[in-house]
Amino acid sequence: MIRTLLTLLPQRGRVTAHLGLTLLSVALRAVSAVLLVPLVAALFGPDPERAWPWMALLAAAIAAGWAVDWAVTAIGFDLGFALLDTGQHQVADQVARTRLTWFDAANTATARQAIASTGPDLVGLVIYLVTPLLSAVALPVAIALALLAVSWQLALAALVGIPVLLGAYWASGRIGRAADRAAARANSALTERLVEFARTQHALRAARRVDPERSEVGAALDRQHGATVRLLTMQVPGQILFSVASQLALLLLAGTTVALAANGDLTAPEAVALIVVIVRYLEPFTALAELSGGVESTVGALRRIRTVLQAPRTGSGTARAAATGSARVELRGVGFRYAPADPPVLDGFDLTLEAGTATAIVGPSGSGKSTVLALLAGLHEPTSGRILVNGEDTAELTADDRRSLVSMVFQHPYLFDGTIRENLLTDAGDVDEAARLARVDTIVRRLPDGWDTRVGEAGTALSGGERQRVSIARALLKPAPLLLVDEATSALDTENEAAVAAAVAADRLGRTRVIVAHRLASIRHVDRVVFIEEGRIVEDGPVDELLDAGGRFAEFWRRQDAAADWRLGTKT
Amino acid sequence: MAKRGFQGAVMRGFGARDHEATVTGTERLAPNFLRVHLSSPTLFGDAEAAPTAWLRFWFPDPDGKDVEHQRAYTISAADEAAGTFAVDVVLHEPAGPACAWAVAARPGDRIALTSLGSSKFELPEELPAGYLLVGDSASIPAISAILRTVPPEVPVELYLEEHDEDDWAIPVPGHPRLRTHWVPRRGPQSLAAAIEDRDWSDWYAWAATESGTLKHVRTRLRDEFGFPKTELHQQAYWMYGRAMGKLRAQSEEPEPEEAPAAAPPEAPEPPRDRQVAWRSQAGGRLLAPLRSALIAAGVVQGLVTLVQLAPFFLLVELARRVIAGEERLWALGAWAVGLMGAGALLSSLMLLWLHAVDARFEQDVRRRMLDKLARLPLGWFDARTSGQVKQLVQDDTLALHYLVTHAVPDAVAAVVAPVAVLVYLFAVDWRIALVLFVPILVYVLSMSVMAVQSRAKTSQALRWAERMNGEAGGYLEGQPVIRVFGGAASSTFRARLGEYIAFLNAWQRPFTRQKTIMDLATRPATFLLLIVAFGTLLVTTGSMDPVALLPFLLLGTTFGARLLGIGYGLSGLRSGLLAARRLQVTLEERELETAPRAQNGTEVSKGEVSAGTVEFDRVGFSYRPNVPVLQDITLTLEPGTVTALVGPSGSGKSTLAALLARFHDVGAGAIRINGRDLRELTPDELYTQVGFVFQQVHLVHGTVRDNIALAVPDATDEQVERAARDAQIHERITRLPNGYGTVLGPDAALSGGERQRLTIARAMLAETPVLVLDEATAFADPESEYHVQRALSRLTAGRTVLVIAHRLRTVTGADRIVVLDRGRIAETGTHTELLAGGGDYRRLWDADGSSAPALATTEEHR
Ligand SMILES: Cc1cc2nc3c(=O)[nH]c(=O)nc-3n(C[C@H](O)[C@H](O)[C@H](O)COP(=O)(O)OP(=O)(O)OC[C@H]3O[C@@H](n4cnc5c(N)ncnc54)[C@H](O)[C@@H]3O)c2cc1C
Repeated sequence: MIRTLLTLLPQRGRVTAHLGLTLLSVALRAVSAVLLVPLVAALFGPDPERAWPWMALLAAAIAAGWAVDWAVTAIGFDLGFALLDTGQHQVADQVARTRLTWFDAANTATARQAIASTGPDLVGLVIYLVTPLLSAVALPVAIALALLAVSWQLALAALVGIPVLLGAYWASGRIGRAADRAAARANSALTERLVEFARTQHALRAARRVDPERSEVGAALDRQHGATVRLLTMQVPGQILFSVASQLALLLLAGTTVALAANGDLTAPEAVALIVVIVRYLEPFTALAELSGGVESTVGALRRIRTVLQAPRTGSGTARAAATGSARVELRGVGFRYAPADPPVLDGFDLTLEAGTATAIVGPSGSGKSTVLALLAGLHEPTSGRILVNGEDTAELTADDRRSLVSMVFQHPYLFDGTIRENLLTDAGDVDEAARLARVDTIVRRLPDGWDTRVGEAGTALSGGERQRVSIARALLKPAPLLLVDEATSALDTENEAAVAAAVAADRLGRTRVIVAHRLASIRHVDRVVFIEEGRIVEDGPVDELLDAGGRFAEFWRRQDAAADWRLGTKT
Repeated sequence: MAKRGFQGAVMRGFGARDHEATVTGTERLAPNFLRVHLSSPTLFGDAEAAPTAWLRFWFPDPDGKDVEHQRAYTISAADEAAGTFAVDVVLHEPAGPACAWAVAARPGDRIALTSLGSSKFELPEELPAGYLLVGDSASIPAISAILRTVPPEVPVELYLEEHDEDDWAIPVPGHPRLRTHWVPRRGPQSLAAAIEDRDWSDWYAWAATESGTLKHVRTRLRDEFGFPKTELHQQAYWMYGRAMGKLRAQSEEPEPEEAPAAAPPEAPEPPRDRQVAWRSQAGGRLLAPLRSALIAAGVVQGLVTLVQLAPFFLLVELARRVIAGEERLWALGAWAVGLMGAGALLSSLMLLWLHAVDARFEQDVRRRMLDKLARLPLGWFDARTSGQVKQLVQDDTLALHYLVTHAVPDAVAAVVAPVAVLVYLFAVDWRIALVLFVPILVYVLSMSVMAVQSRAKTSQALRWAERMNGEAGGYLEGQPVIRVFGGAASSTFRARLGEYIAFLNAWQRPFTRQKTIMDLATRPATFLLLIVAFGTLLVTTGSMDPVALLPFLLLGTTFGARLLGIGYGLSGLRSGLLAARRLQVTLEERELETAPRAQNGTEVSKGEVSAGTVEFDRVGFSYRPNVPVLQDITLTLEPGTVTALVGPSGSGKSTLAALLARFHDVGAGAIRINGRDLRELTPDELYTQVGFVFQQVHLVHGTVRDNIALAVPDATDEQVERAARDAQIHERITRLPNGYGTVLGPDAALSGGERQRLTIARAMLAETPVLVLDEATAFADPESEYHVQRALSRLTAGRTVLVIAHRLRTVTGADRIVVLDRGRIAETGTHTELLAGGGDYRRLWDADGSSAPALATTEEHR
């Protein structure tokens, strides 16, 4: 956690200044605490007037403390704002370089929160968390040391008390968290059954199984009830441990003081004054205990940022590649798995795409065809094997050059909040031609602001089909030697089908094209079909040849035909 | 600035910034209602033109005196980007400064104004049952904004007090469910008395009238109708016979009393036994059985807190004895140890006991929730995301646990400790105790100044947070695109992030000084200095015994932290109470009931009607009262036929189909299966008759076999396999690790189409004569639509089928096609008949492009 914080705080000088000034402020506070000894002793003495000089000193110490704290807070806020700036930007940068396989549902949610909702917390992080934490730990030490000047016995006792109290603080937090976790586990087992019961109501009712299920879940609730109660009571020691420890410390230290006074080591007024100092000494521990509740969200923010910053990054090399013309692409013995523990999706996969050809990848769901596309696009990196473009290993290219090799149409078109023109991201290329091919021209004509129509957040101002077409135009315009198309699985309309077909049909630039296809219309125009099943190529050849062969692809084709013509009802 | 008096000075203290606005034109909307158009380039940096937001104007004195009068006016229209806005001014007699200024206003006139402490009308996440708006001509601008905000399906009752005949001419925007009542003013009570005496449970009231009227309205709404405080917004907009600005300086002027004859009877009615049940108070109802336990826990916690403070009292006593040179100090030690032990024991016992109480309560809540879930209409589940259901069943019960076992004791401790310390310190020496309030005052002042200054920014911050959440989501979702298309693609996000950071800077930076002051003011060191300085003064002047200083030195330094901790201690209660409210609202939700069997002659004996006849008899349905979704649907489904429902989205076809599966109960008319009303059938009887296959797949946790044989647990293996074969899924099942015994889960995942076929197999085995089907199922998964379609063809054969059709081509072979339009049947017939008829169906067919030899249609599915 501290390391994360330090990496986010590049201004070493300010960090040191903050640390130094905080310690100075702590020292001043310790001094003012110990100044109470002569002051209170004087007040209780025969001549209270003698307290005034001490009073003046105390006021000076406290005023100096204010001044130092003023500076500490100012630096703290500065650091907070710096943290905000670097934190947010580093997270955003990191997200763009994190391996896509890392983004499961939980990590995506974390990353989203790290970008969107940690800002205000970061600003206050230093002054509301770091500074108080530092002072809470350092102040008792400083007071104990300052006590050496008055009574070494008491100072010793105070020094011994610090690890004990901190230990109690730590232990009570630990017990509490363990109990919370245990309770949460028991609770989630219980509620999972309830959630399941709610989730499957449709099925249960249709199957007339509501009552038996209900009584079964009910019985499970009863069985677990006792266990939960026992678990919950574990929380009790955690909740009282720290308060008992600090009260005990107060008692022992006060007892020591009184004993010293009884022995004549201290005068009575001194003893009374020391009791006041002891309370001062214990104050920071209480502050520490109170701190823990309030900083939950700040700690959470830092934790989320750390999670994102520690995510695995994509690799890149230093080789350069020319991104023109068309590309000959080879997958050589490529293996891929989404997580180290997962079974491989691809294993020893070989495929060569000749320059300028159009290939359709077809196969049942889960066969690995989308993975092949993602590997070609450089969105995933093979876990074994190599991908060569014109003989160059893509893993050795710079990130920019790797990127310049491919253009892609995604299954779920994502557009940015900007105008249609901006979304085409073009400074080169023939906009009109691409727009015509992708049928964007008809959209543009319909819209009042034409090319300058804003597509709205995540493209929501356009219909699904229209977004798809804009994304096709965007892909056509990027002059990359390899064009990849992941066809949408949802039913397409005729305009869209024409747009997809145009993307795959031989284009001016003569690039190498690959489409993951679900519909016959998009397969008709390709030079070659690769049929994949369970991560292996089972059929490979031109459309006609495969149709004649009557194998898996021919079957797929026949079914697509039948499905498109399907009718429900009796009068067919 | 002196001309604005004390009020002006206070406002400046709160950092209110003056803006200057220029009149750009006026427009008379009604004889006594003038719209003034203004323009101010700086205003919307501070202000937000939210519904009902208002501004404080500084109007010149009409008699030319050197004073300015502050008056509030609602922003009735605004263009924030252009910095232009308008206010609507009621022209009244006698005129005041505001009204006089408005009448004389000409383009180019300038006026000063501030935006400080404005209000804003917002729709809550869970809409109330309706809105009760009470106002008059002066609040019409605000009411208009509310009417524009309230969604069309929510009813609105509007009561307006008429002060002038011309009031009627003031334009009020329409609302589909608005009922307006104009009530002539006959005295301060007349408007309140006119408000209908009915059950207003779960309504929200917004009242802004003349101040005397408001008093009566408030009494009627709160005391007679039971509006809880949270559901009632009220503000006096002006005062009868007095200027609004200096109301306190002047003496009461008698209000003209009107003839009481016309006034509605004001005789205090005895409070009636009305069943009022406000959702907003549901939390209290849920927790009612715990009330005495919680009170007891509160008392015990109070004691524990006092016992925990006891060592400090003992220390004071100890110091006194040390100074006095007394010997018997060990007794005090014993007391301290004893109290400490007692405190620890007491608090452990209380915690244990609370946990036990809570566990029993929670179990009870869970059981009731379980019963409820089993009886809620299925439509209830469809209206909620699985996340919402999970929140209710899982998170909310947990929050309840936290409320009972932690939040209540914490809150009590947070309040009792500072109060006890305060009382003690005041008892010891009230002078020093008073001094302790100086830093607190500094804190509170800085805090409120900050709160006021950042108010406009706070709502902006909320908007930013929402926006950034969307942006971040987009940035993450768009990652693959960004990786392929490069840096330019992410530039909008980067720009937005930069703006956001700049906003946070601009918002928070100016407050760093105040925050530092607040922090320093409440430090123990600050309190210490005050205590010691005043203490020394009092002791040296001989007006205080030094021993009296000790309690302050021991307890006074943390007084500030304790006092400010109250707010934090209480905040834990809120989320728990919200959770309790949500739970209780669900527990009070309407259930499906089984009506007793009709005893009259309409009943048809089983033999007469062949199995699988469905009759819709003048069926009507609405989700919200008076917004019909379906009206007067009469339709008979003959056994073994396919009936298709078609129509544009929103025509009610999905709702109609859901009614047959009894996801909801009909609002009017009846649905009969084999002659028996759906509502007379127990759920088990109903679902032996009716099966359904919708897009949403519901698999239960268990093996493949369990899932197929859900309705027929004792089915033989052959039966299960036959169903699976018919559903085209047998072959896939045999490829699963354990065949039919495979437990479905992440390791044995089925694709969407496969899961669909599994539920089709289930329906196949259940063998219901009537089947409700969503045609979209057939196209949900292109990977296996061929198999799904074949399975559906098998499933529908020989049954009475009602199908929701999205693609017209698919149902061209149906026995009957029913075209719905806005909840009514527009036409029925076969495909050929309807095409020839040239009606709605013909238009749909042509628009659909289905007639073209395309592979698929334009229909898009979510
Ligand atoms: C939050 C808020 C928003 C408001 N928004 C609007 C708005 O958008 N449009 C609007 O016209 N008013 C609005 N008002 C009411 C307006 O501020 C008062 O009517 C104000 O007192 C008028 O000031 P004045 O200088 O004209 O009269 P004053 O000097 O206040 O009073 C002079 C005389 O006029 C009478 N009088 C004052 N107001 C009225 C009235 N409305 N009808 C009949 N007699 C009256 C008084 O009783 C008094 O006898 C709002 C008030 C508040 C608190």
